[in-house]
Amino acid sequence: MKQRKLYRIFLIAGIVIAGFFLISGSFYTYWSVASPQKTCLSCHEINPSFNTWEASAHRDISCFECHGTALSNGLHSLKEKSGMVFTHMKTDVASENLRMTELQLLQTMERCKNCHESEFTNWKSGGHSAGYADIFLHETHNKTEQLNGDCLRCHGMFYEKTTADLVDPISQQGPWKLIEPEKTRQPVIPCMACHQIHAPGETVRQPDFANPNNIFYARNLTKNSVGFYSRHEKKHFQLEQLPRPDMVLFGDTVQTPADPVYRLCVQCHAPSVWHEVGTSDDHTPVGVHQGISCNACHEPHSNNQRNSCDKCHSDVSKNCRLDVRTMNTTYANPASSNDIHFVGCVNCHPDQKKKSN
Amino acid sequence: MNITRRKFIQSLSLASGSLLLFPACGGSQKSVWRFLTTEEAETIIALAEQIIPGDQDPGATDAGVINFIDKQLVGFYSNFQETYRNGIAALNQYCHEKFSQPFEKLEWNRQTEVLKLMEKNSIEGEYWKENPASRFFRMIRDHSMQGFYGSPRHGGNRDYVSYKMIRIDFPHIIGQNRYASRCETLNAFAK
Ligand code: HEC
Ligand code: HEC
Ligand code: HEC
Ligand code: HEC
Ligand code: HEC
Ligand code: HEC
Ligand code: HEC
Ligand code: HEC
Repeated sequence: MKQRKLYRIFLIAGIVIAGFFLISGSFYTYWSVASPQKTCLSCHEINPSFNTWEASAHRDISCFECHGTALSNGLHSLKEKSGMVFTHMKTDVASENLRMTELQLLQTMERCKNCHESEFTNWKSGGHSAGYADIFLHETHNKTEQLNGDCLRCHGMFYEKTTADLVDPISQQGPWKLIEPEKTRQPVIPCMACHQIHAPGETVRQPDFANPNNIFYARNLTKNSVGFYSRHEKKHFQLEQLPRPDMVLFGDTVQTPADPVYRLCVQCHAPSVWHEVGTSDDHTPVGVHQGISCNACHEPHSNNQRNSCDKCHSDVSKNCRLDVRTMNTTYANPASSNDIHFVGCVNCHPDQKKKSN
Repeated sequence: MNITRRKFIQSLSLASGSLLLFPACGGSQKSVWRFLTTEEAETIIALAEQIIPGDQDPGATDAGVINFIDKQLVGFYSNFQETYRNGIAALNQYCHEKFSQPFEKLEWNRQTEVLKLMEKNSIEGEYWKENPASRFFRMIRDHSMQGFYGSPRHGGNRDYVSYKMIRIDFPHIIGQNRYASRCETLNAFAK
């Protein structure tokens, strides 16, 4: 009798398990091959994301190329994805509140590499790929400035918790350590700090070869997919939406670069609240390079500025008839007092006050 | 491009019966708003536009004040739900009796006059005897201002229109407190 009962339990359990695999298996296959209108879009919350994707530069790329399928990262990801659905059922969040976790975002970023390898490696070679440990365990910085919540505005903008959950102790003494060791190498400025993917964009098309001159006129002025992620607002600001600051130098208004990319850089490489050039981390060019945008000299992603001078200067400079690369500036010598961002004619020609700049 | 939910659910059931995973995606909605009905929203849009009219600068409608009010009515301001529902009904009853039209259909100047009556607490109607119209007016005024000048996070101030109007840089451009001035070039300028 007892044996029969046990057998029955096993049988039922077996059917249930087999049924589960059958259901989830076919569901999974369906999910992976069907068009997004039939899978991802099924939940009305995703609808806005679908619409923005459909108008974006990535409209020919399936959701799962970036977000992965439910099983692509093992059970962990499955749990998180169903977590997304569960939040919805429990609290009926409006779609505007649907957001990925930092971990999901970093996993998504790993997939950018598959298609944008050169941008990825350039980013990796520059200062913007610093990890949590580089920024938050920096001896000199921490000894001179108390760690605080605002740090996360410019590094770690997708971190969901507070600085106190990240570093211990919050003091100027140290020694400091990261509370979650897995954050050590995680990047504090991932691609999405400067890029919004679900944003209007154009796919690449081939030009009209019959009329080469029109190729120029078909080009766009700016890229919508470049934008700044505001931790405070939990959203991206496209370049055009970013403010162009009113900058001053010793009381005089400074002409800032018209290039919208400058507005992105100055969000982090920012002046003090008085907007005085050169204060805090500001690099707004004044002097001989006033009005010239950051990315005229700095390449995007790598920030590399090594080969930039030749783009504008020929063998000898226009005014001084010297090789700009060997003149006494920080470009030639980091110890020079003539910072390439700020140097003016008067710095090198003190007797000829204000020659032109 | 949109497929109907019904059609989707059908195809999903065909695929595997995984409906289980999406029980919360059914249900239909009557109004596009969270709390308000379409008609109530129309009235509030008109009221808020009276308080902050668009001119050379954007007004309450451009700033999406209605979205702020509706969003807060199912959140932080849920205790105002009844005040809104009954107040709007009473206001429109008055407008129907006097002018045979709801508030939002009245001419601009007439709307202003009705609002002035409310502000002075001299609008007619049974409802307003118990619930002072001046208080309703103040509530609408305050909420319109909040929706217009507050952060878009709360539902209003669409595209930061009011910040742009008063020339607030947003997101704010403020650097970290750097301990030392790093720029000798500029210090030389100062001399
Ligand atoms: C090219 C990569 C890529 C593709 C393709 C893509 N996404 Fe995204 N998705 C992202 C990134 C990156 C984010 C983070 C926010 C952002 O950058 O817009 C995101 C965010 C989201 C979010 C969270 C809400 C938000 O805006 O933060 C949802 C939901 C979403 N995507 C759904 C989809 C759906 C559905 C599709 C297919 C119709 C899709 N995504 C296609 C990269 C992609
Ligand atoms: C499956 C390949 C693929 C993946 C994955 C992918 N991209 Fe793209 N991306 C493209 C293609 C292709 C284009 C060019 C647009 C086109 O022609 O369709 C593009 C364009 C872009 C652009 C320029 C858009 C514009 O408006 O000009 C940016 C920025 C970008 N991708 C960033 C990202 C980021 C960040 C990720 C990771 C979240 C990502 N991409 C993931 C293929 C991909
Ligand atoms: C307004 C944006 C912003 C804020 C807020 C901010 N930083 Fe930075 N941080 C930067 C920029 C930009 C640089 C690069 C500076 C450079 O190379 O000129 C930087 C560089 C650093 C570096 C590299 C070493 C150095 O001193 O340059 C560390 C470490 C650092 N920040 C830590 C922090 C900590 C800790 C906080 C909070 C107390 C913080 N930052 C707040 C923008 C910011
Ligand atoms: C600090 C900001 C910043 C970060 C971080 C960043 N980008 Fe960019 N990215 C830019 C800017 C600015 C441009 C526009 C360059 C231009 O138009 O001259 C750009 C352009 C692009 C483009 C379009 C290139 C083209 O020729 O149209 C792609 C693709 C891209 N980025 C991918 C990435 C990927 C992948 C990452 C992460 C590994 C990343 N970006 C991180 C600022 C950034
Ligand atoms: C999200 C904040 C942020 C934005 C936006 C940003 N930066 Fe940075 N940048 C940093 C931080 C932080 C560092 C310092 C990293 C370190 O050294 O630890 C840095 C370092 C640098 C460096 C020195 C290291 C190197 O790679 O040569 C340059 C140059 C630079 N940024 C240029 C730019 C330019 C140009 C832009 C605009 C396209 C820009 N940055 C936008 C935060 C930012
Ligand atoms: C005329 C070319 C030029 C322009 C324009 C320019 N830079 Fe630089 N930048 C350089 C060169 C060259 C270096 C290398 C070291 C040096 O000379 O300071 C550099 C170094 C840097 C560094 C790291 C060293 C440091 O001084 O802390 C940062 C950060 C930086 N630039 C940010 C910016 C930002 C942000 C902008 C735009 C607001 C900008 N730069 C505009 C040429 C330029
Ligand atoms: C986008 C164009 C551009 C780039 C890139 C550029 N410069 Fe210049 N530079 C100028 C202009 C314009 C002037 C001012 C000429 C004038 O006022 O007559 C100038 C002036 C100078 C001067 C003053 C001496 C003179 O003869 O005018 C020096 C020094 C200089 N640049 C150094 C550099 C160095 C070093 C680099 C590379 C890091 C560089 N520049 C990159 C445009 C550029
Ligand atoms: C980085 C330092 C530096 C900057 C910045 C600089 N100069 Fe010069 N300039 C020199 C040096 C060095 C010489 C050559 C030595 C000399 O003859 O005094 C020179 C020479 C000159 C000469 C004489 C050239 C000749 O053929 O005899 C003129 C004119 C001149 N500079 C104008 C300018 C103007 C205008 C600017 C601003 C746009 C400027 N300089 C910025 C360093 C600089």
